[in-house]
Amino acid sequence: MKHKFLIAGATAAALALTLSACGSSSSTSGSGGGTIASKLIMGGPPEFKTRVDGLPGLAKNYGVSFGKYTVTDTGGPVTVNALKNGQVDAADLFTTDPSIAANGFVILTDPKANFAAQNILPIINKAKATAGVTSTLNALSAKLDTAGLGALMVKVVTDKQDTDAVAKGWLSDQGLATTGTAASGVKLTIGSANFPENALLAQIYGEALKDQGATIKYKLNIGSREKYVPALKDGTVDLMPEYNGSILQYLDPHASATAPDAVLAALQKVLPSNLIVLNQSSAADSDAIVVTKATAAKYHLTSIADLAKK
Amino acid sequence: MTSMTSTSSSPWHFFGYFLDHRSQDLSWLWTHAWLSVVPVIIGLLIALPLGWLSRRYGWLYPPMVSITGLLYTIPSIALFVLVPPLLGLSSLNPVQVPIALTVYSVALLVRVVADGLASVPDEVNQAATAIGYGGVRRLFAVELPIAVPVIAAGLRVATVSNVSMVAIAGTIGMSNLGQLFQLGKDLSTPTAYYPPIVLGIVLCVLLALVLDGLIILLTRVLTPWRRAVPSR
Amino acid sequence: MIGQVFSWLTDSAHWTDTPIDTGIATQLLAHIRFSLIAVGIAAAIALPLGLLIGHTRRATFLVAGANALRSLPSVGLLVLLTVLIAPHFYGRTDIGYVIPTEIVLVLLAVPPILSNTYAGVDNVSPAVTDAAKGMGMTERQILFGVELPCSLPLIFSGLRSATLQVIATATIASFVPLGGLGRFIYDGLQQQDYPQMISGGVLVAALAMAADLLLALIQRSVVSRGLSGRFSRAVVVTSTSERTEVEAG
Repeated sequence: MKHKFLIAGATAAALALTLSACGSSSSTSGSGGGTIASKLIMGGPPEFKTRVDGLPGLAKNYGVSFGKYTVTDTGGPVTVNALKNGQVDAADLFTTDPSIAANGFVILTDPKANFAAQNILPIINKAKATAGVTSTLNALSAKLDTAGLGALMVKVVTDKQDTDAVAKGWLSDQGLATTGTAASGVKLTIGSANFPENALLAQIYGEALKDQGATIKYKLNIGSREKYVPALKDGTVDLMPEYNGSILQYLDPHASATAPDAVLAALQKVLPSNLIVLNQSSAADSDAIVVTKATAAKYHLTSIADLAKK
Repeated sequence: MTSMTSTSSSPWHFFGYFLDHRSQDLSWLWTHAWLSVVPVIIGLLIALPLGWLSRRYGWLYPPMVSITGLLYTIPSIALFVLVPPLLGLSSLNPVQVPIALTVYSVALLVRVVADGLASVPDEVNQAATAIGYGGVRRLFAVELPIAVPVIAAGLRVATVSNVSMVAIAGTIGMSNLGQLFQLGKDLSTPTAYYPPIVLGIVLCVLLALVLDGLIILLTRVLTPWRRAVPSR
Repeated sequence: MIGQVFSWLTDSAHWTDTPIDTGIATQLLAHIRFSLIAVGIAAAIALPLGLLIGHTRRATFLVAGANALRSLPSVGLLVLLTVLIAPHFYGRTDIGYVIPTEIVLVLLAVPPILSNTYAGVDNVSPAVTDAAKGMGMTERQILFGVELPCSLPLIFSGLRSATLQVIATATIASFVPLGGLGRFIYDGLQQQDYPQMISGGVLVAALAMAADLLLALIQRSVVSRGLSGRFSRAVVVTSTSERTEVEAG
């Protein structure tokens, strides 16, 4: 009986060894073509595989198809670390991410505008968009720009300051932290996607509206667009900071507009009936294909189109 | 702003982090506690009749235990996300977490209740019947009290594992201590940010220990006869 | 919904690897690999330790200590260890994510194996061990020839519950960029692709059941018929009632 037990143990051990041997050898020999991209592993969030401006867009606009795609996270530390340490060669990050500069990553240019204009704007339930709420949000969108947002992201991500404190600090720096009654009596649930910048923007909206007398409830870090847009539609969430190009492509996969104003116009047409968008800010934060300095030098990469070269 | 004091990334700074974010952390802790406890209580209320049935009618025991055991193999993250579409709820409805956890609690407790009732010695049941205790009265006055230690052991396992599973729901946008893990992970670039992660673990463990202690205490109160006998 | 899940699972394209999507076959193997390594390491730690503690009746606080491990939140631990360990591994390797995941899974598997092994040995009737002593068996012979075989039913129940937990929890490996069946669940969640997500859940549950069945078969062939014949019903009862004593003690 003792022997039987040993045999069972030995079998299990042998099985484990075999499995670990065959599983770990995930080589990069992707489907041919011989392009630079086919030698590279791309990392990003799961939805990037199916998103219109994700892998399908890269293939359609640039003829770029990567040797392999590894799911990391939504522009978070897993993606950054995987790119930095060489588990992936290219990654989907956000242009405002301070880790790009901190690690000397190279953003590949997007001449064919695969990633549409990504100006930040509030998307809000029509019933909650009173004149006071609208004017409050429009006033802060007017002051928000890309450089300013980048500086805020350094405070949040690099200096690890609290998003609500950074939000309040920015409002008072911009002279927007004035108390009033413009939004009094309005009850809003503000949501955010699952990355720090979106949570910060949600809190900038929220704190400004609070100063104007609104009652604010936060639902931060909800998840991807696939998850929070239904929540906006059914009224569980009233207000979200959005990126006009991404939300347009989500709502209309065939949208072709890429310039900010054209995107906004197209977006107005496809919004669900209970939602509207307010004025867009000049601050933009789009997805970007990012590589390490070494990879860029090795393959002479400056634009996404270079990835399709042999 | 309080933010300047909270910018240390050292793992040991978790207490300072807690002090800086007291109200938010306490509200997450409070929700976390409720989400861990309520499903166990509801689960027990459902498991009691089911466990009793499978004890009373022996042929029910094997299918009952295997079906509930089957439920336990569903990964919690899948169950959390499955509940809303199955019940027609909004995908952000916070009720999905307690519903999913109730399923797990029932899965664990049906077997425990049945085993607990089975642990009542036959002589005791016969004696109770002999002095005139009918079925229902015997169940509540004799069998359940004697089964308390076994059921309590199951409750402890269910509660402690619930604390861990609620945290998983925090990573898909539910408001509880799991958000601290999401927060810490998101801010761990370019450098690691330990305080929220460590604080989340510390609070989860403390919560589990406190809830566990409460069940032990409750068991003691409900089983006064055990204290008369010296434990080994 | 059931139809969609069924057609997702039976679509042969979902079983094979493409450069973009890793198929079910590969992820299933990866899932089995994570789980086997974790249960293997946990058993290598907890079995000898449990036998020793049960035999010597010393250091029983270790069993209680291991049970306290159950209160550690798996996700939190995984995030902590990933942030701590992953940055130290360079190049085409996922070892920086495998190590944290395996640590979390091992910590999950140790308590049930340890407490059941300990309880199994501790449960062997003193009359039996006394008889063995009377026959002139050495301590070593008693442990391996008497106590171990007698406690196999409980040891297996511990192994089986550890395996179930590890297989169900190995899904969180996909929270960090590792494969496994959890990939379908997390990807389906982010893509709001319910058939894919449910299929992932179904596959995990099916794997858990298959593993449990396999262990049950091994148990049947390894456990002495003298024990299993008499205790097939009672094992269940002892395992839970024993837990009370272990944890309360």
